[in-house]
Amino acid sequence: MKGKGLLEGLWITLRHLFEREITIQYPEQMPYLQERFRGCLQFDYKKCIVCGLCTKACPNNVLSYESQPVPNSKKKLLLSYTIDLQYCMFCNLCVEACPTGTLYFNHDFELSEYQRDDIKIVYEIPRSAQAVISEPADSPIEMVDSSAEPAPQPDEDEAKKQKQINAMITALKKNPVKAVSKLVESEAQAQILADILQADEKKLVRMATMMIEDREKAGKVALAFVNKELKDRQQEGGAGNEPE
Amino acid sequence: MENWFVNIAHALTNWLTGLGLSVGWADFILLVVQWVCIIIIVTLNVIVLIWLERKISGFIQQRLGPNRLGPFGMFQTIADAIKLLTKEDIIPSATDKLIFRTAPMFFIIISVMLYVVLPMGENMVIVDLNVGVFYFISVGSLTTICLLMAGWGSNNKWSLLGAMRSVAQMISYEIPLAFSLLGVIMIAGSMRLSDIVAAQSNVWFIVLQPVAFIVYFIAATAELNRGPFDMPEAEQELTAGAYTEYTGMRWALFFLAEYTNLVAVSALMSTLFLGGWQGPFLPSWLWIIIKTYLVMIVFMWLKWTFPRIRMDHLMSFSWKVLIPVTLANILLTGIVLQLFKGMGW
Amino acid sequence: MLQTEQYIINIGPQHPSTHGGLHVEAVMDGEHIVDSIVHLGYVHRSVEKIAESRTYPQFVPYTSRLDYLASHLPTLGYCQTVEKMLGVAVPERAEYIRVIMAEFSRIASHMLFVGSLAIDLGATTGLIYCFRDRERIMDLFEMTSGQRLIASYMRIGGVSHDLPDTFIPAALSFINDFPKMIEEYEGLIVGNEILQARLKGIGVLNAEEAIEYGVTGPNLRACGVEYDIRKVDPYGIYDRFEFDLPLGSKGDSWDRLLVRMQEMAQSVRIIEQALQELPEGEIKAKVPRIIKPEKGSEVYHRIESSKGELGYYIVADGGEKPYRLHVRAPSFVNLMVLPIISRGEKLQDIIANIATLDPVLGESDR
Repeated sequence: MKGKGLLEGLWITLRHLFEREITIQYPEQMPYLQERFRGCLQFDYKKCIVCGLCTKACPNNVLSYESQPVPNSKKKLLLSYTIDLQYCMFCNLCVEACPTGTLYFNHDFELSEYQRDDIKIVYEIPRSAQAVISEPADSPIEMVDSSAEPAPQPDEDEAKKQKQINAMITALKKNPVKAVSKLVESEAQAQILADILQADEKKLVRMATMMIEDREKAGKVALAFVNKELKDRQQEGGAGNEPE
Repeated sequence: MENWFVNIAHALTNWLTGLGLSVGWADFILLVVQWVCIIIIVTLNVIVLIWLERKISGFIQQRLGPNRLGPFGMFQTIADAIKLLTKEDIIPSATDKLIFRTAPMFFIIISVMLYVVLPMGENMVIVDLNVGVFYFISVGSLTTICLLMAGWGSNNKWSLLGAMRSVAQMISYEIPLAFSLLGVIMIAGSMRLSDIVAAQSNVWFIVLQPVAFIVYFIAATAELNRGPFDMPEAEQELTAGAYTEYTGMRWALFFLAEYTNLVAVSALMSTLFLGGWQGPFLPSWLWIIIKTYLVMIVFMWLKWTFPRIRMDHLMSFSWKVLIPVTLANILLTGIVLQLFKGMGW
Repeated sequence: MLQTEQYIINIGPQHPSTHGGLHVEAVMDGEHIVDSIVHLGYVHRSVEKIAESRTYPQFVPYTSRLDYLASHLPTLGYCQTVEKMLGVAVPERAEYIRVIMAEFSRIASHMLFVGSLAIDLGATTGLIYCFRDRERIMDLFEMTSGQRLIASYMRIGGVSHDLPDTFIPAALSFINDFPKMIEEYEGLIVGNEILQARLKGIGVLNAEEAIEYGVTGPNLRACGVEYDIRKVDPYGIYDRFEFDLPLGSKGDSWDRLLVRMQEMAQSVRIIEQALQELPEGEIKAKVPRIIKPEKGSEVYHRIESSKGELGYYIVADGGEKPYRLHVRAPSFVNLMVLPIISRGEKLQDIIANIATLDPVLGESDR
C-alpha cells in the first residue's frame, strides 16, 4: 500500500503519546551524575607539595600559585593557590599531572556567578596550616609563629646561617625555657629539655643548628630527649617530677 | 441543561420586547450578544488550544509540555499573551504601512466570520443560511489574500517567498476542498448545515463518505497552513516565512487567527461528517465540543509526525491525485443515490 | 513582455537549520537555484595557530572541540599522529578501548545526523527521539572520562583512565536495545514516504566529481566508491575487525541517509567484536613527560572520522611545541560540493542537501 510508511509513523507517535515521560524536573530533581563527572575543580591544600606540575600541564594558564621557599631546603611553602575557572577547559590534564592527588573534580556543575571576579577560586593558605612536606592529611605540622624567634632569612648564605645558629645558641643559653617552649608540649617538658641542653654543650649546638635548618626534626629530637630523660628518671627512682 | 443557551436567548428577547423595543431591535441586540459570545468562545478556545498543542507535542516527544505555571501548565498561554502584548511593536521602515498593519486584522475578522453558520448545538445557529456550506468555503478562502498582504507588505524576500507559496498552495487545495463536500451535500440534499446534521440521524456521513472525509482532512490541513503543509511558515527553511517581520501582538493575531480557523474547520468537519451535535446522554453543545476537540487532536498528531511536503509535490498531489479522487467520489455518490432512488429507498 | 529577474537570498549564518554558522548565498530564479556560494569562517577559532603555542600533550583537549559531535575521533587522530612521530607503541588494551570509544562516537554522530535531517525537513519529533538515544552514549562517555560531549579522554600513548566496572554492562545493554532504536527511526523517518519523495533523486553527486573534489567518508561511499580508510590504510587495530562497507548507487541524498543508517549497524558489529576480545593490561605507554620530536620531522596521519578523512599534519622543530599543525577537516572539503549538487534545484532542496552532507562547522572552520 502506498501510504504504509506514513501510517507506521503515526502509530509510533501515538504509542509515545501514552508513555511515561523521560524528562526530569530540574532543579527539584538533580540529574544522575557518574562517578568521574567533572564538575568544579577543587584543591586540597594539605596534600600539595608545590611541585608546579599542574601549572605546566594546564593548556590555558588557569592555575597559578604563590609560594615561599623554605631556607636550607628544597621544599616550599604554599601561600596561595588560584584557579581561574573562566578559562578552564575541564580537560583533566592537571588532575592527571598532580602526583599527590591534590586536585580533583567534584560534582558541582552549577558554577555561574553574578560577577566575573567571583569565578576565580583563590585558596589562601593560613600560616598555621602550611605544610612543609607532604604529610598525610590528618597530621598537619604546626608552623612556628615567626614573631617568637629570630625569623629565618630566605637566602641560603652560609655566613648568615652561621650567624643565626650562633644567635640561637645564645638564646638557648640565656633563656633556654623560652627558646625551647615551642618545641615541646608543656612547661615541664620545656624545663626538662632546658636542663638537658644546659648540661651538654654539644647537644645544645646540635639543637640550635637543627632549629634553624629543620624545624620538624628539631621537634622530634627534642621530644626524644625529653622522653629518654623521663624514662631514665623513672628507672632511677620513680620519685621526682612527673610531667603532665 | 440541554436548553440552557436557548432559554437564555428567549428570556433575553422577551425582556427586551417587554421593555418596549420592537422585535427588530430586540433581534439586533440579541445578535450583538451572540457576537460577543463568539468572541469569548474564540478566545477561550485559543487559550486552551495553544496549551493543548504544546502538551500533546510534548507527550509525543516523551517530554512534559509546559508544567510550571498553574496546574499542568494551564496558565502558560496567559503568560505568553501578556508577554506578547507588552512587546515592542517594530515596523520596518520600508514596509507598505497600510497593508502591513491591516493584514492581521483581516485575518482574524475573516476567521471569526466563519462561526456565524456553525451549529453549536440543537437550535443554536446564529444565522442558519440556506447556503451555509458554500458561505463557509468561500469566506474561508479569503484568508489567502491576508497572507499575500502580509508577505508583500513586509518588504522582505523571505516573506514574499512564503506568501507566494501560500497562495499557490491554497489555490491548489480549494478545489479538492469544495469537491469533497459535494458528496455530502448530495446525500443530504441541501447546503443548510442544520439539514445536514438532521440527515445524519441514522448514520454518520463518515461511514457513507470515507474517501471524502480523508480528502477533506488533507485539503483542510493545507488550507490552514498546518502540519505537513506548512511551507509558508516553515520555520526551518524560511525563518517564519510570511510572518517574519511581525512582532508582538500583530504576530499573536496571526497565531490567534490560525487557531480560530482551525477550530472552525474542525467544527465543520464534525458537523458534516461526525453527526454534529447528535449524541446520547450529554447535551448537544457538549457533544460538538468533544467532537471538535477530537478532530483537532488528530490534526496535531499529524503535524508532529510528518515532515514537510515540498512545494511541487504538494501541488502535483493536489491536482493529479486529489481532484481525480474527488471527482470519482462525486460520480460514485451520484450513481449510488440514483440507484437507491430507483429502488425506492 | 514580462521579464523575470534573479535575486539573491542569504541562507544563514543565523538560520535555524544550518549546522552551525554556515552562510550560503543562493542566486535564485523563482524557486530554482541558479548558483550558490558557500561562505565559511564564522566559527573560526584559530585552533591551528593556538597549536603553535601549546605543547603536544596540552593540545589534546583542543582536538575534541574540532568535531564536537563525535569528539573521540579527532582526539584519536591527533594522538595517533604524535605516536607515529615518536614511534610509540600503544598497549593492546588501550587500542581496544580506543576502538570502542571511536565507534561509539561514530554512532552518536550518525544518530544526530538522522535527527537533524528529520528536523530540517520538518519532523521535529525525529530529533527528540535521536537525542534520547544519544543520551545513552553520552552516559557511557561520562562513565569513562567524566565529560559527556567534549571528552578529552585519549592521551598520547594510550587512554587516560581505565574502563570502570559499570561500562561493559551499560555498553552491552545499549547494543541490545540498538535494533529497537533503528526500527523506530525506520518507521518514523526513513520509511516516511514524504521524506523519501523529498530526498530521492535530489542532490546527485557522481563519483568522478566526488573524487575530483576530494569528498570522503559516507558522502563518497554513497556515490558507489568503496573507499574507507579503515580498510584501505588501516590504523590502530582496525585490520583485526570484520565489518562491511555499505555503499550507495546513485549518490543522491537518499543514498547518503541510507549509508549512514547502515554504518551505524556496522559500528555496533565492531564494538561487539572489540568487547569480546578486550584484553587485560596497561592503558598507557611510557611516554616522556616533555615530548620533543626531532627537528625537521614531519608526519601526516589520517583516520576515518564520521564525516570523512580527518588528517593531521605536524611539522616539528625540535622544541616541545609544534612548528606547524594543520588539520585536514573533512567537512570543509565536503561543503565545497554543495554548489554543484544544488544547481537547478529548489530552495528546500538546498536545505536537505546541507543536512545530508553532514557538515560540522567546528571542524570546517577550525
